[in-house]
Amino acid sequence: MTPVIEVQKLTKQFQSKRKASGLRGSLKALYRPEITNVEAVRGISFGLEAGELLGFIGPNGAGKSTTIKILTGILHPTSGEARVLGFVPWKERQQLAFQIGSVFGQRPQLWYHLPAIDTFNLFGKIYELDSEEVKKRVAFLAEAFEIQDLLETPVRKLSLGQRMRCEVAASLLHKPKLLLLDEPSIGLDVVAKQHIRDTIKHMNETEGVAVLLTSHDASDIEALCRNVIIINHGQIVFRDKVSNLKRHYLTTKLVEVRYSQPVDPYFQVAGTEMLKVSQYGVKLRFDARQTLVESVIACLAEAGSVVDITISDPTLEEVIREIFKAQEA
Amino acid sequence: MQRQNALSRQPGKYLSILQIQVLNRLAYPVDLALQSLTIVMFMWIFMQLWRTTYNASGQQAISGLTLNQTMWYLMIAEAIMLSMPRPSRTISTAVKDGSIAYFLNKPFDFMLYQLAALLGEYLIRILFNLLAGGIIVWLMVGPPPVLSALPLVLVSMVLGWLISFCLSALIGLSAFVVEEVSAFEWVYSKFLLLLGGVLIPLDFLPAWLQKISLALPFAYSIYGPARLFVTPSLERFAMLTLGQLAWLAGCGILLLVFYRRGLARLAINGG
Repeated sequence: MTPVIEVQKLTKQFQSKRKASGLRGSLKALYRPEITNVEAVRGISFGLEAGELLGFIGPNGAGKSTTIKILTGILHPTSGEARVLGFVPWKERQQLAFQIGSVFGQRPQLWYHLPAIDTFNLFGKIYELDSEEVKKRVAFLAEAFEIQDLLETPVRKLSLGQRMRCEVAASLLHKPKLLLLDEPSIGLDVVAKQHIRDTIKHMNETEGVAVLLTSHDASDIEALCRNVIIINHGQIVFRDKVSNLKRHYLTTKLVEVRYSQPVDPYFQVAGTEMLKVSQYGVKLRFDARQTLVESVIACLAEAGSVVDITISDPTLEEVIREIFKAQEA
Repeated sequence: MQRQNALSRQPGKYLSILQIQVLNRLAYPVDLALQSLTIVMFMWIFMQLWRTTYNASGQQAISGLTLNQTMWYLMIAEAIMLSMPRPSRTISTAVKDGSIAYFLNKPFDFMLYQLAALLGEYLIRILFNLLAGGIIVWLMVGPPPVLSALPLVLVSMVLGWLISFCLSALIGLSAFVVEEVSAFEWVYSKFLLLLGGVLIPLDFLPAWLQKISLALPFAYSIYGPARLFVTPSLERFAMLTLGQLAWLAGCGILLLVFYRRGLARLAINGG
């Protein structure tokens, strides 16, 4: 099967004007501007298979947006090759536009004062769909996204979560083969986030639409993607399964225990960092590569009668921070 | 499922964009009605000013225009000016904050999208402004001299609007080169006010300034249609249309060249 995205040694350099501070700097910049080359993307290669959900994450200025703009044909790369659904994006941008859907969390595409159904119908025209097919497709998406009752309400009256569901549904109207999601859960509460994730996953499973997801919220990637690419300073610093990412960088464990009776306030567990010891509870952290989990549990059980125990991994955000720290070092 | 038109120039989609913009503007009819009170206020002020001027001159007509004609002229000119498209603002914002990228990944032409959306906005605003302005002027000076030429005036208004769109869009596109375009917008709007004939009919200007103004595109956007409304004739219409088409071709080609260059610049250098 042809990959949805194929990227080979893609680079992108920008020229950027620099200006020294103060009046002198401003005047100098007028007649002799200082131009510097900025390397936004440095020879990245990756692929996205049909039906795959790929997380594409990195800090601001890492090169995510530049890569996505190249993949949608808006920017020409300085060198390297890319094909999206068989098209060379910067040469066949308009043809490609018919095949991809996009949602940019901070740039709503629904018309704010009108009911969402009006935007759906407009998109039908923009993507040159038959009006009967639009009707059927809207009915299908309305059911899948549970937005039947929202379609006729002006968008301004919808909650952010409801609006995002309509946004994602609208982006799927023309049955795109690739969906670009940029921060789809930004600003949403936990329940709304979960709802959006469920529907994205559902559409990925039922229609096989490939998804490239960028998000600052690592839990989005954790919940949705099997594979993840982490980009920093224009280079790919990690590309693997999300589970491997956690396994390699998930060596710290956080343990919280609640006891039925008071415990010794000076109680210590060897090989761990005691974060908090109260009368009825203990919170500690340890590196599982150096200290065995079972020895920690045994020590904690010896200290008193355990009512509740929670062992948690660091969040993906913390993991990513660790990778960046290692890169910077 | 989809038919693919590589050029994305199907008129149907742009008509839909125009329609949805009309619906969008009509979402708050009270707001629209209140906005059109601006023209009522302007016309009342103009009436006080020009009645005094005509009385002081002791003449029925100044530079060939009666008070009735001057007031109807000013009403049309003001309605056009107050409904004027501002693509400079939307385009420069899209270029500066990079949101042009979000328009470019949809199968439509960005510039035609702007044209359709702003035309939809214009149609609603001009309708409300003409209604409000027409009622107040009718009450103050009576009916307009001629109404039969209205279809010709509407044609010239649309052509004039297209010229304004191109000029304002060119200012917006200059954001690809300069970072701030508000100074150009300011100068452009002042040219429209004075050389376009919004503040005063061009007939009242000194002969040398009148000549200059009539040779510039601003007059074809505002003065031409407004003057045609008060003193219509087929000859005037023909001359006006020819001039408008010439300016439209010139500005349109310039816009196309600048837009292509801007896109190339964006593609190479990220805007």
